[in-house]
Amino acid sequence: MITGVGAVSALGPDVPALRAGLVAGRDGIGPLALFAYRGRADTAAEVADVPRGPWDLPPAAVRRLSRPDRFALAAGEEAIREAGLDAGTRSEAALIVGATTGGMFETEEAYRRWRAGATPRLAVSRVLGTSLATSGVAVSQAFGVFGPQETVATACSSSALAIARAAELIVRGSVAAALAIGTDGLCRLTYAGFDALQALDPERCRPFDRERHGLTLGEGAGALVLEDADHARARGARVLARLVGWGTATDAHHPTAPHPDGRGALAALRAALAMAHRSPEAVDYVNAHGTGTPQNDAVEAMVLRTVLGERLERIPVSSSKSQFGHTLAAAGALEAVVTTLALRDGILPPTLGLRAPDPAWAGVDLVTEAGRHAALGVAVSSSYGFGGHNVTLALARGDVA
Amino acid sequence: MSAPVVVTGIGVVSPFGWTAEAFWDGLVAGRSALAPVRRFASRAPGRLSGEVPARATGELARSPVGRRMDWTSLMALGACRLALADAGLAADAVPGERMSLALGSAYGNLQETATFLDRLFARGIGNPLLFPNMVFNAPLSYVSIELGIRGETSMLSMLEVSGEAAIAWGVDAVASGRADACLAGGVDELGEVLHRVLEAGGELAAGAPRPFGADADGVATGEGAGVLVLERLDDARARGARIHARIRAPLGCSVPAPVHGWPRDAAALAARLVPAVRDADAVFASASGSPSHDAIEAEALMRVTHAPVTALRGALGDFGAAGALVAAAAARAVAAGTIPPTLGLGAPRAALDVVRGTARQTPLRSAVVTGLARGGLVRMLRFDAV
Repeated sequence: MITGVGAVSALGPDVPALRAGLVAGRDGIGPLALFAYRGRADTAAEVADVPRGPWDLPPAAVRRLSRPDRFALAAGEEAIREAGLDAGTRSEAALIVGATTGGMFETEEAYRRWRAGATPRLAVSRVLGTSLATSGVAVSQAFGVFGPQETVATACSSSALAIARAAELIVRGSVAAALAIGTDGLCRLTYAGFDALQALDPERCRPFDRERHGLTLGEGAGALVLEDADHARARGARVLARLVGWGTATDAHHPTAPHPDGRGALAALRAALAMAHRSPEAVDYVNAHGTGTPQNDAVEAMVLRTVLGERLERIPVSSSKSQFGHTLAAAGALEAVVTTLALRDGILPPTLGLRAPDPAWAGVDLVTEAGRHAALGVAVSSSYGFGGHNVTLALARGDVA
Repeated sequence: MSAPVVVTGIGVVSPFGWTAEAFWDGLVAGRSALAPVRRFASRAPGRLSGEVPARATGELARSPVGRRMDWTSLMALGACRLALADAGLAADAVPGERMSLALGSAYGNLQETATFLDRLFARGIGNPLLFPNMVFNAPLSYVSIELGIRGETSMLSMLEVSGEAAIAWGVDAVASGRADACLAGGVDELGEVLHRVLEAGGELAAGAPRPFGADADGVATGEGAGVLVLERLDDARARGARIHARIRAPLGCSVPAPVHGWPRDAAALAARLVPAVRDADAVFASASGSPSHDAIEAEALMRVTHAPVTALRGALGDFGAAGALVAAAAARAVAAGTIPPTLGLGAPRAALDVVRGTARQTPLRSAVVTGLARGGLVRMLRFDAV
């Protein structure tokens, strides 16, 4: 059971802002302002106001927190609050975080000054704050979440994997509740790296479009409280949606390119539906990985057609990355939050920037206009990470058996 | 469903060399793997690091893309190949989609990240050939490609318990039936920037580190990879595999602590350690020579065990995934009935039975690795004789 969600994104500081942005079709992509960069691309989906708390942490510790740490704290706090988790439940709950760059942005700053001789010593706190684990630790210490904690890094599927892992711990009876978070911040390393690979669209990402040239990087955090059904019922929790299946599989093919036949992506989607005991006919909505790179689009279209068959042409598909960018480690969690809202409220999130669909998507109901509604029972959300790490989540509306 | 899981293969890449035998023999002989650093210029004579001997990528990488892998990935691949060979598992013995991989690393590819940033700051552009190696899960990707692992794969980053956390993930993957075999372990490398940072922060020992020492003055930097092959007991028996030990991964947890520092409440830590440590015949501690870390661990252990304790970071140095190497040693220790000694220790800081000087020969039914990290993370692994 998903009983709480939280979100920080280019669409705003919380879930209500995200939801309003989905409904209005707001565009979170704008000029890159966080740092100077002269390359092929100059756009990003930045979080305008970095969360400042207050959190129950010493001021000295808060000063050392990176942007992703702060995103995670804000999203985690919102999810916990919305779920109404009390201190006792929190202290036993699992905390699984997806991350890829940690405090890299802050480390880059410190490293550059140190290399330039501007500071005689490289600040220990800055570099040690780079650790991917720090966001989880900060959330754990601020909100008293002292159960099993893990930070996983499988690039763009990190937080989808974190959600799957959290669900495993609940299904196996290890914990009654878990907080799954994905968090990531813009930094020079990823921006210049993706640009060097020619993976960034110079203007903005246009998932599924004939003229798509790449992705647009974003940042933020998504958080979900997952809870054992009996535990949620016993405390009278509101159920926002249910996670009914998940699948993970690896391409074992290439460090940055997807397998040309979508080997791992196919296996992950099939496994998620099998675990959910749902046939392709039951799927009502696809929140695609939809990065906007030609390679991803081609493979994803093929994977969806192969598994969903004709059903694909009768259901809406959208890419939320067109609204708040590719948030890397946060993508799986933010898109799971979007999918949860879609199921709960019957909202269909739009795909921005899409003008003329690529032939690979011919006949598919690609949602371009904002404000569409549809009653949805089951939805899938896929995340494919660099290195060939694929995760698909299957979600169902809270009241659908 | 939670079937018993056993360790059937051990692979270690350490400053002792590229075999688990060299690692184990060095530890048991009470030798230190630490020496003055050669990879970059040292600024402090007498300061020691654990540096893994160089190895050509082409000796281990067989795929075309694998030729470009970074040093961290190469150490991970080396340990994985050694572990598979030790387990007697042929490349195709377990179908790729039934094989799982879990690797832990605290900081990943430090050296090439610095190289990448240097060029970015100097010339304003990123290096497209280097960027794939910057992605934190590069070792996971390269190893999965090299070994054809297509099941569930996960990279974990958990500071000083990165290795233990990845092994625990692997135990779950196999116990739950999601995979038939899992390569699980950790890797971290010695990079100049991190070394300088720790140096500037006063965290490094002047000479040899002294875990649990009353006069401990810091840690030694190090690097290495440790990987275990995990299988269900029934499967291992059915194929006639040699079993090193049974492994259990108690649920991880954390205790109140500063976000960037070590926990301070020994009683709270002891309460978390007690279920796994209480009846263990040996404790493989995480003490590293860091005074604040060692003090809290010693105090907590004193409350929960009279068993012999050893801290191998005195011989290996301290790095994020060192716990994976400690786990490899603990698995060997249970099979051999031998506890390697803690090096560098003069007078112990606490009333603990720390194994010092020479290895202790004693029948062991069980050994527990007590992983402890900044931010209050606790991750234990338990090995039982089979």
